[in-house]
Amino acid sequence: MTVQEVRLCGLLLQEHFGEVVEKVGTLMLKNGAQNLRTILHETGMSVDLVKKSLCVLVQHGACLFISGRKGPGSPTEYRASCDQILRILRYPRYIYTAKTLYGDTGELIIEELLQRGHMTMSSTVKKVADRLTQNMEEGRSMDYSEVSSAFSSLVETHFLQRCPQLGGAAMKEGTAPADAVTPAAPAAPASTAPPTAESFSDCYKVPQVTLIGRGKRQLASEDGEDQRNAKRPRMDSEVHGDEGIYWQVNFERFHLHFRDQAIITAVANKLDQTSSEIVRTMLRMSEVTTSPSATCTKPLSANEIFRSLPAGYNISRPILDQYLTLLVDDPMEFVGKAGESGGGMYVVNMHKALTNLARATLESVVQERFGSRSARIFRLLLRKRHLEQKQVEDFAMIPAKEAKDMLYTLLSQNLVQLQEVPKTPDYAPSRTFYLYTVNQLSTARMLLQNCYKTVANLMERRLFETKDSKRLLEKSQRIEAILASLQASGAEPEQLTEVEEMITAPEKQQLDALRLHINKLDSAENQVDETIFLLESYINSTATSAS
Amino acid sequence: MAEVKVKKETNVSEAAEVESRIKELCQQFPQGITDQVIQNDMPHLEPQQRAMAINKLLSLGQLDLLRNSSGLLYRLKDTQSVSKMKGSDNQEKLVYQIIEDAGNKGIWSRDIRFKSNLPLTEINKILKNLESKKLIKAVKSVAASKKKVYMLYNLQPDRSVTGGAWYSDQDFESEFVEVLNQQCFKFLQSKAEAARDSKQSPMVQRNSSFATSHEVWKYICELGISKVDLSMDDIETILNTLIYDGKVEMTVIAAKEGTVGSVDGQMKLYRGVNAIIQPTGLVKTPCGLCPVFDDCHEGGEISPSSCIYMTEWLDF
Amino acid sequence: MAGRGRGVGAFTFNIEALGIGRGSMPEARVGPSPLFPSTDFKPVPLKASEDEDYMLALKQEMRGTMQRLPHNIKLQSNKSEVERYTERYLKQSQTEDEEWTPDWKLFPRELMPKKKQSRAKTAGTKKKTVKIACKDAADVLTKLDELAKKDNEKSDDETEKKKTGEEDGEDEVEAEDFEEEDIEEDNDYIESYFDNGEDFAADSDDNMDGEATY
Repeated sequence: MTVQEVRLCGLLLQEHFGEVVEKVGTLMLKNGAQNLRTILHETGMSVDLVKKSLCVLVQHGACLFISGRKGPGSPTEYRASCDQILRILRYPRYIYTAKTLYGDTGELIIEELLQRGHMTMSSTVKKVADRLTQNMEEGRSMDYSEVSSAFSSLVETHFLQRCPQLGGAAMKEGTAPADAVTPAAPAAPASTAPPTAESFSDCYKVPQVTLIGRGKRQLASEDGEDQRNAKRPRMDSEVHGDEGIYWQVNFERFHLHFRDQAIITAVANKLDQTSSEIVRTMLRMSEVTTSPSATCTKPLSANEIFRSLPAGYNISRPILDQYLTLLVDDPMEFVGKAGESGGGMYVVNMHKALTNLARATLESVVQERFGSRSARIFRLLLRKRHLEQKQVEDFAMIPAKEAKDMLYTLLSQNLVQLQEVPKTPDYAPSRTFYLYTVNQLSTARMLLQNCYKTVANLMERRLFETKDSKRLLEKSQRIEAILASLQASGAEPEQLTEVEEMITAPEKQQLDALRLHINKLDSAENQVDETIFLLESYINSTATSAS
Repeated sequence: MAEVKVKKETNVSEAAEVESRIKELCQQFPQGITDQVIQNDMPHLEPQQRAMAINKLLSLGQLDLLRNSSGLLYRLKDTQSVSKMKGSDNQEKLVYQIIEDAGNKGIWSRDIRFKSNLPLTEINKILKNLESKKLIKAVKSVAASKKKVYMLYNLQPDRSVTGGAWYSDQDFESEFVEVLNQQCFKFLQSKAEAARDSKQSPMVQRNSSFATSHEVWKYICELGISKVDLSMDDIETILNTLIYDGKVEMTVIAAKEGTVGSVDGQMKLYRGVNAIIQPTGLVKTPCGLCPVFDDCHEGGEISPSSCIYMTEWLDF
Repeated sequence: MAGRGRGVGAFTFNIEALGIGRGSMPEARVGPSPLFPSTDFKPVPLKASEDEDYMLALKQEMRGTMQRLPHNIKLQSNKSEVERYTERYLKQSQTEDEEWTPDWKLFPRELMPKKKQSRAKTAGTKKKTVKIACKDAADVLTKLDELAKKDNEKSDDETEKKKTGEEDGEDEVEAEDFEEEDIEEDNDYIESYFDNGEDFAADSDDNMDGEATY
């Protein structure tokens, strides 16, 4: 865990779970696996707060626990998951994607699960039905079955998965839970690695639930009474048949979707819309047959592809062949040819695509930060691998002095490296080649850390801006509250205006500016996360690549 | 004895004729004439007579003696310089000859000294003199900034001296390169657009979006924006920079011998391409471009709270 | 690796050999360098589209929601008084339940709360006072304030009543009022859990009555 990662995780924990959880979480991130006593000791916080914090972290999958790792009787150890916490940055994207794929219902299902960590299908369905009902016209409500059906779709396409049964704890033999509804997982000897959701064969099995009813609208009321009454229905202890079966969002599945989106967009940018639709079709056909870490999809025949094209696309078979050939010929090698049967066998080269996307990302950074000519040098080095200074000048057609300055700057920022290749055994400088080079992978890692730092910077600045205007914000909130209550109790317009005017014009301006600042900072965080996603995906792909 | 006398006298007048005939021949063939040419023209001429005439002309400084792979070559000396050289002494003539021999690649003063065995002060005096007479000129060499080479006044310096099309007076013509870069790109871009708009089959579209380096070269030449002659190689160098700019792609295909623009049975094809991504998220923030990024941390002098780049960016 | 940051970093290679002699370094700075040197390039504008706007709204809503959920543990057990007003008078409290109960089957036993502690806490939380800071429109605020106080006390009572009524035998973990229900665990276990700090882990392992599993 790097310093930047820990810092960013701390900020995310603080923002969503509060200072207390942040303190506990950060401690675990810095020090690795810890038992409860150590955590208590190190944080100096009360038992009660520490326990609650751990519960919150476990609930959200941000912390795993293992008991008996050092033998029977040894204390439970807790380990925070940096990756999981960093995903909080991506929550808006997960929710929005669910919306585009499964509508408002899908959107709310994902949102609820992200907010609460994990839930049963029945409680999710009920909550979502209530929320949807709230937004519907008077008298209308959302049927549970509709929500259940959306839920099932999300499970079928693996966007949702069952939680690993025991929160990451290793299983002891012979202790299958007595009241478990799910079949026991394979009785493996206690392992130290926490089982993933996918190590359970039923992780994508929708349970039989009896879930009949409709969403309940929460009644708007003036005092607390009715609100409490409306809460009542949710306190019921109806049993639906899926008790103990908890569901969580499957981030990896969303990531595959994002990856595919990035590839399709790249093809559309480089080539054209039709080519990108063909690639989209190929990826869609491969969704279930290709493992997430595969370098490329399983081979698809042109015949199959032709049959699977979306209904609106009226291209002839020979034209499809042309598009496929052009895709294969393209230097980016999005698509490769794997054989001749079936009219030609084709694959999508995911890892190559990720490499190209990562490269384009690095080039983009150099371009915007140091200008076109430095970017030219950077791309040159990526292509030619090793060049001497003079060669750089000549190929890039940049005069010596400027080329030297640019190389020096790139070198000092670690975007370019220098290798000494001796011509003679004595390493004499005059008989040594000094070759400039760019290492894509290590540069990508470095930039990824920069991204983490950048997001943390944006968050700090946002907190600062908010803190700076704290009194004003509170004043504004108070005024809002007063206004609302006055309106509800039927106050005169003059009274309302009087209250409104409690915020002065310059104060209003300040508030507006603050709002703009916050929005800009938040939006920037979302957009930097796109860079983070591409770089992380690329780096992870190199770990599993055969090359 | 009388015979000889008569012969001699005849020879003298004949010699003058031979000399002027040789000069005429030289004018006819400015690149130089060989003994064979003279013999063909005056078959009755004795080799001895020929040799004498040539030597006479040489010593008068009216003829140049050159050597090529097949033998000796005689060339008419430039009359202007001949007249200019009239007042010169032998040393000057020698230096001039050395410089002339160096052709359009020129020669360092040090090498002139080496070849002439004259002392440096003499050389410098002579060079100054010749320069003022506009018989020779000094050209800055791109290879070494302090050195100059000398060559005859009206010669076009060779590329190795001037640095080729991209150097003017030893200064790299960045702007010129930039302009060519842009023009080449525009050409390729519009070709690609035309291909797209043609709504032909995808294969045809792709192929028609390509241009050979020859086509680009022709376009640039016709634009007439270059003061110097640009070769196809020069254009390819420019096109390569466009590749490194991420704007252009190149493919090499086999070409039939004799196809216009093909070199060694191959042709290079270029076309304009689009970026596969928009600028990445990181560069949309001040931190992504920050010059003091590494020094920034909360609580320090440079921190997100105190950052003026952030302030500027937020208020933009 | 090459040095980073401002100034000439320490290079591991001989930079003179590159021809970067002292004289040809980028301009030497005169005097201390400015903290924030001027930059040639400005950030590329952020993407602005409906998608981005929607995700921005999602982000901010998520932040707000999660800060109100019981998962968000605050050191002071009350939310700021302003947030209370906001909830009551802007009718935003909708779906936020005040309690959250982990399913202890998925959690280590040792994280289960203790009875003793909570009693003291409950007493504490009741004592919270609502402060009024704003001097403007004091009357209105005082009125609201009194209303709020009354409501608080009322709701606390209500919640407690509700809880004692529960019989599902599960513990309830509350962010605010960390009250505990009567549970099936025997007092001895709890006593020893706290008294004997050294072996609490061992105890929890032993006491497997089928409720919580590992």
